Amino acid sequence: MQPFDYYKPKTFEEAFDYLTLPGKTVFPLAGATDFIPSYRDGVWQADAVCDIKALPGVRDLRETPEGLWVGACVLMSELARSPLVRAHWEVLAQGAEVVGSEQVRNRATIGGNMCTASPCADTPPPLYVLDAVVVLKSKAGERRVPVTEFFTFVRKTVVQKGELVTGVIIPKPPAGTVGEYHKLSRRQGCDLSLVSVAVLAAPRNGGYDWRIALGAVAPTPIRVPDAEAILSKGWDAASIDEAAKAAEKTAKPITDVRSSDVYRYEMVRNLTRRAVRSVAEKLKK
Amino acid sequence: MLHEITLTVNGEQRTVAVKSHHTLLKVLREQLGITSPKIGCENGECGACTVLMNGKAVNSCLVLAVEADGAVIETVENLSKEGELHPLQQAFVEHNAIQCGFCTPGMIMSAKGLLDRNPHPTVDEVKEALAGNLCRCTGYIRIVDAVMDVAKKGDA
Repeated sequence: MQPFDYYKPKTFEEAFDYLTLPGKTVFPLAGATDFIPSYRDGVWQADAVCDIKALPGVRDLRETPEGLWVGACVLMSELARSPLVRAHWEVLAQGAEVVGSEQVRNRATIGGNMCTASPCADTPPPLYVLDAVVVLKSKAGERRVPVTEFFTFVRKTVVQKGELVTGVIIPKPPAGTVGEYHKLSRRQGCDLSLVSVAVLAAPRNGGYDWRIALGAVAPTPIRVPDAEAILSKGWDAASIDEAAKAAEKTAKPITDVRSSDVYRYEMVRNLTRRAVRSVAEKLKK
Repeated sequence: MLHEITLTVNGEQRTVAVKSHHTLLKVLREQLGITSPKIGCENGECGACTVLMNGKAVNSCLVLAVEADGAVIETVENLSKEGELHPLQQAFVEHNAIQCGFCTPGMIMSAKGLLDRNPHPTVDEVKEALAGNLCRCTGYIRIVDAVMDVAKKGDA
């Protein structure tokens, strides 16, 4: 691996100085599980890395009046096993527990999963249906971006040079909310998503507000408003079929080394139907 | 850039000067003389380099050595005590869960990481915990059997 420098600031002020070193490309480093292979293969360039794991608040996972605070450096394995997350934000735990392998989940962070911005990342679709808000910090101050506006393209986000994602705020869903994250991959363990679907049904005005997000079938994760509208009126078998078809219409998958677009279109429909049915089953209980 | 780091490796405190871009795997093998973590894919796919870092299984090829400053690292070298194999090692021997042996240190450390946090896992939990460890001899059934054997005895 080509040499690079390493900094580990303890304050944000120090971090922003490193990130804006004149003439240098300084890469923010969280879990390093994407960085090391991508840097070695020349996909990413850097003169130095700025390890953000010692910054205040970035390791915190706690409930606040605004909802769940997930610091950027909270691990996938922490999200997957947290009783708090399991109790109220189950769909996020489901996404986190299918990222990579146990070894990867013990290093990989939610901030890294978001900032790498791979279309097949497993935590963004759950964050989409949970209406999460991304918190960013820079020398200029703090700003908040709805997660649905965070990703701009394949591996592109709104994060500017000199700016860091410090964490995510996830509103607490009303009691009785249920969700499901379904992922299809070539093999069950330790593989990237071909198609993924997050479904959430939250009680509202005596009915349910349905939300559906798809992963790996467009340059960024996408919500499926047409399917959501259909289900919010009722979720009998015919409506579920309609919603699944709407999801297929919204998806814009590509053909790549993992599968063809034709296969992905079909699987969007099947996986959406399956995930919605699982949520509907949970609602009956 | 050089960094002086101090870490506890297999119960012993070690201080080493490491380069920013060197991985924990490289430093364990080349500076600390610990060669059970194997150089496999160096991409976090194969698990041959698995060690426990602060009690959790990690791919040492995906950790910068400098990130391990202050950490407690355990490798398979630390498992046998006074000539007695660790129950996991013993079970791997008894179940013939070793063929070429290249994946074995990583398999055992992943299994230990699982049993330390979940002493009585189900078969599915064992498979999930070992999903990041590839055995190219494909001896998975015996490996899972060996781990389940220890899990049932509950003496890991």
